Amino acid sequence: MESNDLKVMFFLAYKNLTKSKITFMVIVAVMAMSFLSITFFASIIDGLGYEFEEGMIRGQTGHLMIEPQEDDLYISGSGDLVKDIRRIPGVVGVARRLDASAVARYETIEIGNPVLFIEPENEKDVSDYWSSIIAGEYLSERDTDELLIGANLVKSYAAEGDTQKRFDVDVGDKITLSFSNGFVKEYRIKGIYKTGSRFVDDKIIINFDQYQLIFGPTEDIASNILIALPQRGMEGSYTEKIIDLGVSEQINKWQTKMGAVNQFVGSLQITNQITGTIGLLTAFATIYIIIFINVTNKRKQIGILKAIGIKKQIIMGSYVLQSLAYGITGVIIGNIVMKLLLLLLSIHPLSMPIGQVVPILTTERLMTTSATLILASIVAGFFPSRKAADENILDAIFGG
Amino acid sequence: MKKAMIQTVHLERVYATGAVKTYALRDISIEINEGEFVAIMGKSGSGKSTLLHQLGLLDKPTKGSIIIDGNDVINISEKERTRFRLYELGYVFQSYNLIPELTALENVYITAMARNLKRDEYEKMAEEILAAVGLEDRMYHYPSELSGGQQQRVSIARALVNKPKILFADEPTANLDSASSEDVINLFRKFNEEIGQTIVMVTHEKDEGDKADRIIWVKDGLLDMEKNAGYLI
Repeated sequence: MESNDLKVMFFLAYKNLTKSKITFMVIVAVMAMSFLSITFFASIIDGLGYEFEEGMIRGQTGHLMIEPQEDDLYISGSGDLVKDIRRIPGVVGVARRLDASAVARYETIEIGNPVLFIEPENEKDVSDYWSSIIAGEYLSERDTDELLIGANLVKSYAAEGDTQKRFDVDVGDKITLSFSNGFVKEYRIKGIYKTGSRFVDDKIIINFDQYQLIFGPTEDIASNILIALPQRGMEGSYTEKIIDLGVSEQINKWQTKMGAVNQFVGSLQITNQITGTIGLLTAFATIYIIIFINVTNKRKQIGILKAIGIKKQIIMGSYVLQSLAYGITGVIIGNIVMKLLLLLLSIHPLSMPIGQVVPILTTERLMTTSATLILASIVAGFFPSRKAADENILDAIFGG
Repeated sequence: MKKAMIQTVHLERVYATGAVKTYALRDISIEINEGEFVAIMGKSGSGKSTLLHQLGLLDKPTKGSIIIDGNDVINISEKERTRFRLYELGYVFQSYNLIPELTALENVYITAMARNLKRDEYEKMAEEILAAVGLEDRMYHYPSELSGGQQQRVSIARALVNKPKILFADEPTANLDSASSEDVINLFRKFNEEIGQTIVMVTHEKDEGDKADRIIWVKDGLLDMEKNAGYLI
């Protein structure tokens, strides 16, 4: 191909694009909408999965969770360990917890429940209980007779038609907790929390010091220690740093503690991949058909250009360039609209039962979708124009 | 003695539909000289346009040979045929066949652009030829903004911009009123007389045929020997 061939190719493509503005706008709109239909739904699903995981990280596991070895019930020397880990550069927060269970009673209702013993101030760095208070207040270090209760245990926050047994309580009411060792104490509800994660919102939370009061003097023990890191993906390197401190307990990454959530999020991701693939194929077919019709309508023009001595490669190249212009413009517009939607939804997240969901568009999905749509447009420009350019000149011009 | 610009020997074009064969052209042997203005005439369906399409390399004959300016154009590659159409031949179609997305000037210079010419050169060539067909004030109009006669004149300018050896015209006046038709034929006459342009025109109008140097009559895909007496090889 010579340089003037490229010149003619670009000239023909440019003239066709600029003179056929409506065609251009329609095809670009279809491209942009195809882009949005694939990426938007996928980003909601990804955001939903992320929110599920984040709910677990910020409620149950932290980024890293230190747990006793299988033969032990508790981590001993937990206070010093918390201090040591906190000294590791970059660690955002460390908090220890103790787990127990109790039968909670209010008036005639009794429910067996997990009870979480926390250090309120440290806990703020690793979980969202403090920011999820929907009535009353968060615990303070001095609270000895107060508790926090999850919204899932409170009748007034139950969904309509939900028949699960719950307490008809409000802030200020008193609940009696009976522990396995026979210890019984009445606690006043200081606050009701709701994180949106059903795995987290069914707990009763009281102060860490209460554990000693209930179960007797203990030697600085904890059921687990949660560690918050600056962001996901750093778990490996921080695990090594913690091991370097001489920690012999299990150090688990949040991914290994997800249980049912992991399966659920995994299922979401598979669903997303399937719908994403179907979406891409549908978009590919739609774009191919639209550009195919457009090129087929130019069959006569292709015949005329051949008749006056324009090379087949120039003609095909001009249509591929046009299709490429449709593809790139559509993808750019789709990207811009998608970015605006993401920006809007980051300011006003979608309110879902599990919490506030912000759509997430991964670079990989963005690149894959963009590349596929652009490829679809090239293919859609290439094959019909090659077919028309290979056709007998007279058939192309006069129809045959 | 003038040299032969076009020679055909036993040209045949057969269209096959299954086992049924239709002979559009049979045993056509003609010679057209350089600088000659020839009209091909005949009744509708006689094969005159089919003959023009073979001569203009828009179609391939089933048998026979075509020699243009000493070159055998039957056994050349598709690439070479394209190059031949660009550099050596010009076409004027019945329905103008301009590219609607291009202005008159662009429609004309697109073929000159496809040669390795600079922008100044091909624009100047296009402007000159458009002026020669009387369209200097319509250069930047799109085909949809031009009358039928004006579009046909743009088509003639496009056909001539590369200074082809032969200009082919397929019923160029069929869609025009009588005044525009006369303009087109006069333009052909003018280019033929002034620059010695070889022109091969298909027409079914006897008046137009009479303005050519010679008429080749075609009947049922064959040369009409009776009418052609004295003109053929």
